Amino acid sequence: MAEIERVLAPASLDEAAEALAAGEATLLAGGTDLMPASHAGKVRFAPMLINLRRIAELSGIAVEDGELRIGTLVTIAELLGDEAVRERCPILAEAADHFASPQIRNAATIGGNLCNASPAGDMLVPLLAAGARVELASKPDGTLVRRVLPLEEFLVGPGRTRRRPDELLATVRVPAAAPDAIWRFFKSGTRPALDISAVSIGLLARKAGNALHEVRIALGAVAPTVVRARAAEATLEGRVLNPETMEAAACAARDEVHPISDVRASAWYRKELIHNMLRRMLSDVAET
Amino acid sequence: MQIIARETLIGKRIAKLDAPEKASGKTRYIHDLDLPGQLYGKILRSGRVHAKILRIDTSKAKALPGVHAVITAADVPWQRPIGVARDHLPLKTDRVRSPRDEIAAVAAQSEEIAQAALRLIEVEYEDLPVLTDPLDALAPDAPLIHPEPHGADGGTEHLKPGAPVAYSGRPDNLAMTFDYEQGDVARGEADSDLVVEDTFRLHYVTHCCMGVSGIIAEFDSSGNLTMYSNTQVPFLHKREFAEILGMDPARIRIIQPPIGGGFGSKLDIYPFEPICVFLARATGRPVKLVFSREEEFLASPTRQPVILKLRSGCRRDGTLTFRAVETIHDNGAYTSWGATTPFVMMQTVSSLYRVPHCSYHTKAVYTNNPYAGSFRGYGNLQATFAVESHMDRMADALGIDPLEFRLKNAQDPGEVTPQGMQFKTCGLKECLKSAAELGDYQAKRRAYAALQAEPGRFKRGVGLASMLHVGGGAKIYPSDGCGTILKMDDFGAVTLITGASEIGQGSETVLAQLVCEELGLPLSAVRVVNNDTEITPWDVGVHASRTTFIGGNSAIGAARKARAKILDAAAKQTGLPAQALDLRAGQIVEERSGNPLLSLAKLIRSLHFSDKAELVMTTHYYEPPSHHQDRQFKGDVSAAYAWASQVVEVEVDTETGAVRLLKVSGAHDVGRVLNRLGIEGQIEGGIVMGQGYALTEELIVEQGRIRNPAFRDYKLVTAPEIPEIAVRFVETLDGEGPQGAKGVGEAPAICIAAATANAIENATGVRILALPFTPEKVYRALREER
Repeated sequence: MAEIERVLAPASLDEAAEALAAGEATLLAGGTDLMPASHAGKVRFAPMLINLRRIAELSGIAVEDGELRIGTLVTIAELLGDEAVRERCPILAEAADHFASPQIRNAATIGGNLCNASPAGDMLVPLLAAGARVELASKPDGTLVRRVLPLEEFLVGPGRTRRRPDELLATVRVPAAAPDAIWRFFKSGTRPALDISAVSIGLLARKAGNALHEVRIALGAVAPTVVRARAAEATLEGRVLNPETMEAAACAARDEVHPISDVRASAWYRKELIHNMLRRMLSDVAET
Repeated sequence: MQIIARETLIGKRIAKLDAPEKASGKTRYIHDLDLPGQLYGKILRSGRVHAKILRIDTSKAKALPGVHAVITAADVPWQRPIGVARDHLPLKTDRVRSPRDEIAAVAAQSEEIAQAALRLIEVEYEDLPVLTDPLDALAPDAPLIHPEPHGADGGTEHLKPGAPVAYSGRPDNLAMTFDYEQGDVARGEADSDLVVEDTFRLHYVTHCCMGVSGIIAEFDSSGNLTMYSNTQVPFLHKREFAEILGMDPARIRIIQPPIGGGFGSKLDIYPFEPICVFLARATGRPVKLVFSREEEFLASPTRQPVILKLRSGCRRDGTLTFRAVETIHDNGAYTSWGATTPFVMMQTVSSLYRVPHCSYHTKAVYTNNPYAGSFRGYGNLQATFAVESHMDRMADALGIDPLEFRLKNAQDPGEVTPQGMQFKTCGLKECLKSAAELGDYQAKRRAYAALQAEPGRFKRGVGLASMLHVGGGAKIYPSDGCGTILKMDDFGAVTLITGASEIGQGSETVLAQLVCEELGLPLSAVRVVNNDTEITPWDVGVHASRTTFIGGNSAIGAARKARAKILDAAAKQTGLPAQALDLRAGQIVEERSGNPLLSLAKLIRSLHFSDKAELVMTTHYYEPPSHHQDRQFKGDVSAAYAWASQVVEVEVDTETGAVRLLKVSGAHDVGRVLNRLGIEGQIEGGIVMGQGYALTEELIVEQGRIRNPAFRDYKLVTAPEIPEIAVRFVETLDGEGPQGAKGVGEAPAICIAAATANAIENATGVRILALPFTPEKVYRALREER
C-alpha cells in the first residue's frame, strides 16, 4: 500500500478540481466503499487523499429544466427522504429504500455509488432505467469545465468509469418521469436488508391503456456493468401486456444476459431470477 | 413493628447486572485494555492450502524500526502441539496444511509497524497436493495431511535436538473415530415395516462473536505469566498452557476481561494464544494480539461440517425399531472439539425418542479445510436435523400425524435409555403438545398440505422438531464441578467469588439471585467476582449448558452454609431455635410471624468484633451426581436433561426460493424459570442463531479457502427477518437443579433447522437434505421436483 502523503479538504468544487489537476488523488466521500476496500488491502492509495465532504455545492437536490439535479455528495438517506425525488424519480427512492442499512445510507453518497461502479451498485440500476446523465468537472487549463455523459457511457466495467483522473463527478441529472410512467424495482439477496444484490431489475415505461411505450429495463449484477435489457425492451415496445408478451420479454431478458457464478449466486440462478422477476414485475404492472 | 413477608426473586424479570455498563458502552473488553509498555502482536499466515515450507527469511522484518521481535518455529524449538489430539504446532515447522497456518509472528510498537513487518517476511513454499473432500481423503492412496515424521516426505531435521515430539503423525487421514451400538440393528431392521434412508449434508458456519479473539500476555520479573484472555475455560487452560509452555501451572494466571460472546468458540487453545506468549517471552514486554474481523473468519473455529447417512425404521403402528447412523466429519487440517461432537450426536440418535436398536459410527477425516471447534449445540443441530427430518418422513409414509408419531415414541420421566441416560424429569411430551398448540400445528399442517398443489407464488408450511440436550452439566473431565467462596462484609453485603465464567449468558445475575434467595438480600447487596484464576476457585468452564446448574448449586451451597452460621448465631442471641428464624430484607426475622428481631449487619459485626472474632465466609464445591461414560459411550453423563419442541411456520417464495420464517413457537423444559428476562433473551437469541444456521449463514469454503471472510458475504440474520417468537416454559422442577432449574444455554438453537426443513416440506412437498436453505438452493430443489 502506497503511503498517503497529503490530505486535502477543499471547500469548493473549483479548489477540488484544481487539486486534482495537480496530480493523482484518491477521492473520499462517504467512505462506505473506500474504507472496507482499504481494510481488505484492495485500494492503492494515491499520494494525495481528497476529502470532498466539505464542498457545499456538491450537496443538495434541485429541479432545473424539468430535470432532477442531484449533487454527488447527496446521501442515500437524503434521496430517500426527498419529496422531489419521490415525485420525479420514484424508482430511485424505491431503490434507496433497499440500499444497505440506515447507518450506511446516512454515509454513502450517490456519487460514490456511481464512481465505485459495482455491477451490483444499488443506485446504478434505477438511474440507468431512468436515463440519467452524469456531469463531470475538471480544471485542465485553469478554468473549470464540465462535460455531461449518459450513465451508460460513463460506466465501463466493474470499478471502471470514463471519469478521468483529473475529473470529479459533480452532479447526477435525472429526467423527470412522465405523468403516465410506471416503474418497478426489484432486488434479490439472501436477506431483505443489508445485502448485496444477486440480481436487481429496474423497469421504467409509459403505460397507455395496457400497452407499454419507451420501455427501459436495467439489470444489475448480471454483467461487468449494469446493462439495459434491450432485447426484452424491444419485445415489449408498443405491445399490450398479456401472458404471451410478458413471457416473451422475460425469456428475452434471461437469454440476453451472461452472468457469472460467484459467492452470491450461480449464473443459472441469476438467469432464472431475471426471468421470474421480470415476468412478475410486468404482470404486476398489467394488474394496476 | 413492621412485619417482613417472605419475598422471592425466582421467576422474576431481572435485568442483567452488567447491562448498564454494556448498554452505555463503558464495559472494558480486551480491546479496551492497554498495559504500560505494551507491544502489538501480529501473525503471518501461509495463504497456501497445503505446502512445504522451504525457507523463511525474517531479516528485513527484524530490521524495521519499531519491531521488537520476529519469531518463527525455529525460535521456539520447545513449542509443543496444542488441541484435542495434540496435532497442531502453534508455529508451523516443515509444512502448512491450510491458508490460516501460522508461519511467523511479530511484536512491534504499533499495529501498523507490526503489519508492515509481516510484509517484509519472505517465505518460500513448495505446493503439495490439496485434499478438500473428506471422501477423497479416505481413499487408500490419498496424500497424507499428517504424515509420520519418518514417512515419505517427512524428516525431523527441522526439530532442534531435544525438542519434544508429542505428536507423531498418522499412517492415514483418520483423525478420530467413534463407534456406538445398542441392541441389534439387524434385528431392528427385520422388525420394521418401513425403512427410510437419506444422506444429509451439514455445512460450515462460524460463531461471529461480536468481540473478536484476543489476548494480552505478560511475564513479571520472576517469570510468572499473566494472560488477559477471552477463554471460556480458564482453569483447564491454565493447566494446558503449562503443558504447552513447559511451565509450572502455579506460575500462570488467567484474567478474563468481559467477554464479547463465546458460544463455544473459546473452549480450545488456538495458535495465536501461545504465539502471543512466545512474543511476550521474547520481548520481555506485555504483548497484545487481537484479531481483525477478517482474521476472525479465517482463523477461528467453525461448527463441524458433517455428511450424515441415516437409516431409520419403524413398525406400521408407528413404533420406532432402529436407527443407524454413519457420519463423515470433515476434520479440517487439525483436531479441535468439532471432532468430538459425536458424544452429543449419538445421544440424540439413541435417546431423543425410544429406539431399541441403534448404531452410530463417525470417521473424522483430515483435509486441508478449516477445522471445527465447539459451537453452541455441539453436533446436536446436525444430528437433530437428520433425526427430526426422518420423524416427519416416516410419519407421512405411515399416514400418521407427525405430532402423534412423536408422542408415541417420546421419552417419559423415569426412563433409563439403552445409552444409560436417566431422565429423572422429562417434559418432552408436554413440550410437544404445548409447542403444537402454540403454533396451531396440526390444523395448519393439514391446511397447508392441501394447498401445496394449488397455483400461487407463495406457499406456507409448518414444521415441528424436538431436542434433547444435557441440562445438568456433562461429566467429560475428571470433575464437572464448580467452587464458590462467599464472604459477607460487616454491612451485610456479599461478595460471591465463583469459578463460573460469565461470557454474556447472564450467569452473574442468576448466581446472585440464587444467593439472595438463601440470604434474604436484595440483588444490590451482591457483587460477583468471577474472572481471575488467582482468586476464584476451580470450575471446569462454560460449556454443556452447565453454568446455572453447576455454578448455581455451588453458590447455593456456599450461601446455605453462611445462612446456617448466621442463624446459629442469631439463635444464641435471641434464644429462639434456628429453625424458627429466617433471613428477610437484611433482617433476622421470626420465621412464622415475620417479626424482625435483629439487623443482619449488626449480627455479623457482633460476630466479627467479639472475643471469637469470626467472619461469615464460606466455601462450597459442587460436584453433580453424574457419571463418566464407559468405553462403549454408555453412562448417565448429566445430572439432568433439557427438552424442547419448536414449531416453525414459513413462507416460501416459489419464484425465487426465498424462505421467510413467520413464527417460531417453542416449548422448553427448563426445569424452572429463574430469571424470566434472562431466559427469554437466551431462548430468543438461540432461535435466531438457529435461524441463521437454517437459512442464511454459510462459510463458503472452496479448495480449502474461505471465500466470504466478512459480514458482507457471510449473512447473519438481521432484525427484519427475525420472526414472531412465542415461548412457553415447561417447569418440571428438577430435583437436583438449583431451585429446580436445568441448563438451557444451547437448547433453543438446536431444532430450528430441523423444524424449518419440515415446514418447507409441508409448504412445497419438497424435502431438502442439505443446509442452509438459501434462496438458490430452495429454488433449485423446487425446480428439480417439477
